Amino acid sequence: MGLAFKIAWRNIGRHKGKSLVIGMILFIGTLLMTVGNGMISGMEHGMSENIVKLFTGDLIVISDEQEKNDVLIGSMSAKPLKVIKNYEAAKVVLENEELIADYLPATSGLVYVLNDRSEMGSMYLLGVDIDRYRRMFPDSIQITEGRPFEAGERGLLISEEIRKPFYDFVEYWLIPEGEELDESKLPEDAKADLANLDVRSDLVFMGASVANSTMDIRVPVTGVMKYKALNKIWGSYCLVDIESFREAHNYVTGADSAVDLSEAEADLLATENLEDLFAGGDLFADVITEESITLEELQQETTRASGDYDLDDGSYNLAFIKLKKGVSPQAAAAKINGVFQEQGLEVRVISWKDAVGIIGNMAVMVKAALNLFIMFIFFVAMIIIMNTLSMAALERTSELGMMRAIGARKGFIRSMFVSETALLSFFFGGLGIISGIVVIYLLRAAGISTTNEILQLVYGGETLSPVYTGSDFLLGLFELGIVTFLSVLYPLRVVGRIVPLDAVVRE
Amino acid sequence: MNVIEIQGLIKDYPLGKTTVHALRGIDFSVEEGAFLSIVGPSGSGKTTLLNIIGCIDQPTAGQVKIQNQEISALKEKEITDLRLHKIGFIFQSFNLIPVLNVRENVEFPLLLMKNKRTAEVNARVEQLIEAVGLRDYIEHKPAELSGGQRQRVAIARALVGNPDIVLADEPTANLDSETSDSILQLMKELNEVEKTTFIFSTHDPEVLKYAAKIVKIRDGMLVEQE
Repeated sequence: MGLAFKIAWRNIGRHKGKSLVIGMILFIGTLLMTVGNGMISGMEHGMSENIVKLFTGDLIVISDEQEKNDVLIGSMSAKPLKVIKNYEAAKVVLENEELIADYLPATSGLVYVLNDRSEMGSMYLLGVDIDRYRRMFPDSIQITEGRPFEAGERGLLISEEIRKPFYDFVEYWLIPEGEELDESKLPEDAKADLANLDVRSDLVFMGASVANSTMDIRVPVTGVMKYKALNKIWGSYCLVDIESFREAHNYVTGADSAVDLSEAEADLLATENLEDLFAGGDLFADVITEESITLEELQQETTRASGDYDLDDGSYNLAFIKLKKGVSPQAAAAKINGVFQEQGLEVRVISWKDAVGIIGNMAVMVKAALNLFIMFIFFVAMIIIMNTLSMAALERTSELGMMRAIGARKGFIRSMFVSETALLSFFFGGLGIISGIVVIYLLRAAGISTTNEILQLVYGGETLSPVYTGSDFLLGLFELGIVTFLSVLYPLRVVGRIVPLDAVVRE
Repeated sequence: MNVIEIQGLIKDYPLGKTTVHALRGIDFSVEEGAFLSIVGPSGSGKTTLLNIIGCIDQPTAGQVKIQNQEISALKEKEITDLRLHKIGFIFQSFNLIPVLNVRENVEFPLLLMKNKRTAEVNARVEQLIEAVGLRDYIEHKPAELSGGQRQRVAIARALVGNPDIVLADEPTANLDSETSDSILQLMKELNEVEKTTFIFSTHDPEVLKYAAKIVKIRDGMLVEQE
């Protein structure tokens, strides 16, 4: 054992009171730091699990014409998202990008529902190809009533969170098509007036658009769902089949894209002389006839094209991107944006935090607050330790002066002080870290849950699940090392000023 | 051969608006192996003179040579090494390291000299502990020793590195007369055995009977050499 280390070790025992004060501060500081870091890691992990893996993916493609990035929760207004103009070309980029594991094109926006009394309700819809949605976010939703709509089927999955407020606005109680009314799920006022309850299994809605160029469409409710995590937040969104969304918002649909024109039709549409459109009768000869037709025949003639077109051919205003494991979202975003710019596609990739706007900002703020709290604790600890060590140095001036007088260099005296502080840090800090890990596991085991949205962000989900990782341990050691180093700096300066003469002057 | 040579030594201490003239121009030399006592009343400058000779204080003016080496020309680290290798100190209040036992206190300077072999250190430490009569107290901490025993430890520590000079500032001031006699007797014996130069300050006339040479100072000036 080195001489300086030996003296330092014994001095800790000799000055038990001071050592205990410093030790307790280090213990409490590292304990809180460990729990705080565990909370932050838990929050980040929870965010990743509950937002990235269940709802947004790592990155989101939006149109370059979109002014603000908060295209999801943040942009819940009537102003629709800009349609991605070059989706076909962007799709080629996404499919060829080796950093991307999967992607899901989607549409997001508001629709209005008007009841018989002209009372208006609204809901946010996420229009998706259900097969691709389930492949991209397999654990995202739980069907609580009815069933999900099938691929190619028109259908709406109502969120449990929306069902009640929707009833409050338009007094429609939505149940899935073909399902019996479950009275136990009704709100109290609906139960009290069952005779007048308006139960619906489909909904006529109209896309919200500033251009007022939307249309009414009727969509059957196939099921009721809830999101598996952060349901209070994501529950604002109901899922709808992509074609219904497109029609409601007057987007180009997959069916539109699938229309095959004959050579004559193509030539006619290409003409610059509009008179030609009405000049001949040949073009519509097969449709316009002098024979009368039945209503059924007319309905069949004008019904929607179904099934035999590619849903992916229509319009989108979003695309969720899931990156391969271990890929940095920042690096991937930079790379993909580079390709988009290079090809002049007028689309851009944004992070999930930007996309969820206020939610992402709040997560960053909560994390910053926790970090600030930890820094504050360490700052206070540092000041107290610094003061205690400086006092200890001054009290031992005569002893340290004697050591200098009989030939000890400044470095030796300093190494003694550093050893003393390092020993205290190692022992009490280590104890604090171990206790912190125990507290983290106890908190995790306690399964504390909340329905409060803000607390859900702090928890990273509905249940408080702090986690302690290897990098948290290294971060803890680093923070402890920094505190030890900074706490001992001023006492070392004090010690450095002690001269051999102090050995006799203080006698 | 002179181990210490002092010429025109002046030491002033600023004290507020006035200046205290602690040493007012002292000239004297000390021969190798001497057992010299610096005597004078309190405030005469004895301690200041010893501190400057021991390189723990610096003169305002004048020259101090230790083994023909002018100490004012040395850098801080060189002065520290000079104190470690050539000078031993015995303090009035013993100044032992409280957390180390007798053996560890004595071997402390040797451990600061990094190139010493363990066997060599152990032999020298045991030899000196034996010489100062503390074999039975080797594992005792300073708090478990009497004043006289502590000063014996300090003497052993001062001599352990084979210094050329041992400086003792009023080494018996905190001891009773019987213990003082035994300490001075021990110093005298070690001076003869180790051939180390001893310089000690005192204002006790009883102590003077042990000194081979006496330097008397008063008001910072040398008044007599015997």
